[in-house]
Amino acid sequence: MSARAPRPLLPFVVGAYVGLLAPLVFVVAVSYGHSRALEFPPPGVTLKWFKAFVPSQAFVTAFFRVSLVVGVLAAVLATVLGTSAALGLVRFRFFGREAVETFFLAPLLVPEILLGAALYLFYARLAIQASIWTLLWGHLVICTPYVIRSVTAGLVGLDPRLEEAAMSLGATRVQAFFKVTLPLLRSSLLSGAIFAFIISFSDINLALFLSGPESTSLPVHIFSEIQWQGEPTIAAASSLQIVIIGMLVLIVQRMFRLRLVV
Amino acid sequence: MDGVRSRPIWAFLTGPYALFLLLLLLVPFANVAMYSLHPYSPTKVFLPELTLDNYRKIFDLYYVRLFGRTLRLGLITTSVCVVLGYPLAYFLARARPRVQALGLFLLIMPLMVSAVIRIFGWIVILGRKGLVNQTLVALGLEPIKLLYSETAVVIGLVNIFVPFMVLPIMASIERVPPNLEEAAQNLGANWYRMFRRVILPLSLPGLISGCLLVYSLSISAFVTPALMGNARERMAGQQIYDEVLVSFNWPSASSLALTLVLLTIALMFGALFATRHASRRDIAS
Repeated sequence: MSARAPRPLLPFVVGAYVGLLAPLVFVVAVSYGHSRALEFPPPGVTLKWFKAFVPSQAFVTAFFRVSLVVGVLAAVLATVLGTSAALGLVRFRFFGREAVETFFLAPLLVPEILLGAALYLFYARLAIQASIWTLLWGHLVICTPYVIRSVTAGLVGLDPRLEEAAMSLGATRVQAFFKVTLPLLRSSLLSGAIFAFIISFSDINLALFLSGPESTSLPVHIFSEIQWQGEPTIAAASSLQIVIIGMLVLIVQRMFRLRLVV
Repeated sequence: MDGVRSRPIWAFLTGPYALFLLLLLLVPFANVAMYSLHPYSPTKVFLPELTLDNYRKIFDLYYVRLFGRTLRLGLITTSVCVVLGYPLAYFLARARPRVQALGLFLLIMPLMVSAVIRIFGWIVILGRKGLVNQTLVALGLEPIKLLYSETAVVIGLVNIFVPFMVLPIMASIERVPPNLEEAAQNLGANWYRMFRRVILPLSLPGLISGCLLVYSLSISAFVTPALMGNARERMAGQQIYDEVLVSFNWPSASSLALTLVLLTIALMFGALFATRHASRRDIAS
């Protein structure tokens, strides 16, 4: 391990991280600031924007009634769909398996803004009103591939002979799956579910098209607030999101290899 | 076991998601393709006759400029991402496990936060009363207009997409055994020569797939140019958004969307091919 990066590389590395993290740091800093005009450095420290966040009906609805609900539902459904798809892809050999695998990861190749537009036009053609559900179906398209990736990674590292042993001891295939495979897949399942939640929770591109007046998600609400004024209440809501996502990513990293999912 | 083998269990397992994707990915894009072949009417949602006008229109000066600007900003963004991302990828690939874990966390965590929030952060930094301008004023200089320009859009895009450059490059550098670097250096090459002759060629597939990924993501960007860009210098994503939700010219939006989708899918398959090709060669050697 004596091959180390040479010193001249270090400024680039530090610069890249400063650029990556600066916006997050400043969002959090402004949310505690005293000025309405998003001044930096802020003239004083306050919690008033967090207090303003609580009675703001629009923010509370967007956060708790839409983003959180859709995120959790998307995570649960994507985990069920994705786990079953990953099992089929890893544990069975069938004609066209590679094509099916590519098809299942295809949502990652389609730009989200175009998928959003396509789904909007599709719903419009069928005269389906925008609601939490239209948003949820859209999110399932982009969340499930992450579950498939993480569960596939978990399954590949798991010896199929464990299942076979259970079956030769009298368990049915279904019992073997629920009693042996599923507990061993726990961490990759949970990582996939958490990532599905994060992708749904922070998505803006699909939500711009798919959320209606009653189902504005938090990022869409933040988007329109930035366009119109840009009050620090947005910063308070944003810092909340940053903290939640930071903790979730940390959990995944503790449990599983982060890179197998991303 | 025999009875189990004969039943196509894989179909029960993969079927639900396959159907789901069919209904919510393929059918919607087929619908877009159909819209793109029908003429636009301000009064009717749908006219039965067929036309190629929506595609011919892409060659109008307005749209040529729009696509030209979009592709050019994508190119600039990709180049900046290479300059910033490559050193970071090398650093992470060769870092000790603990440093690497921390570095990956700091790379992936921002990636997962909503793009809107990161752009909001840049507005705070670059805005009229933001950090940069307050610093300039404190130094006795004139404040400058940073936001709502192409520079601002590139800053925002680089910030959002640089992890997509770092991760594939890092993966391909990790496959190069560190003792190959030592061997080259023992044979008398200095670090830069070793890098140019050993690391760079071997990490090329990662670099290519990172570039294609970042490029195709940035040419379909919407939120960044909408919030940080100049209203007169728009990108293709904004045009599509407006034609769908503001001017309701769905046939035109459809032809633009389909053009962009085909372009990005071609690029993404290039990225996929570059990485697959690399891993295959890895096994062979």
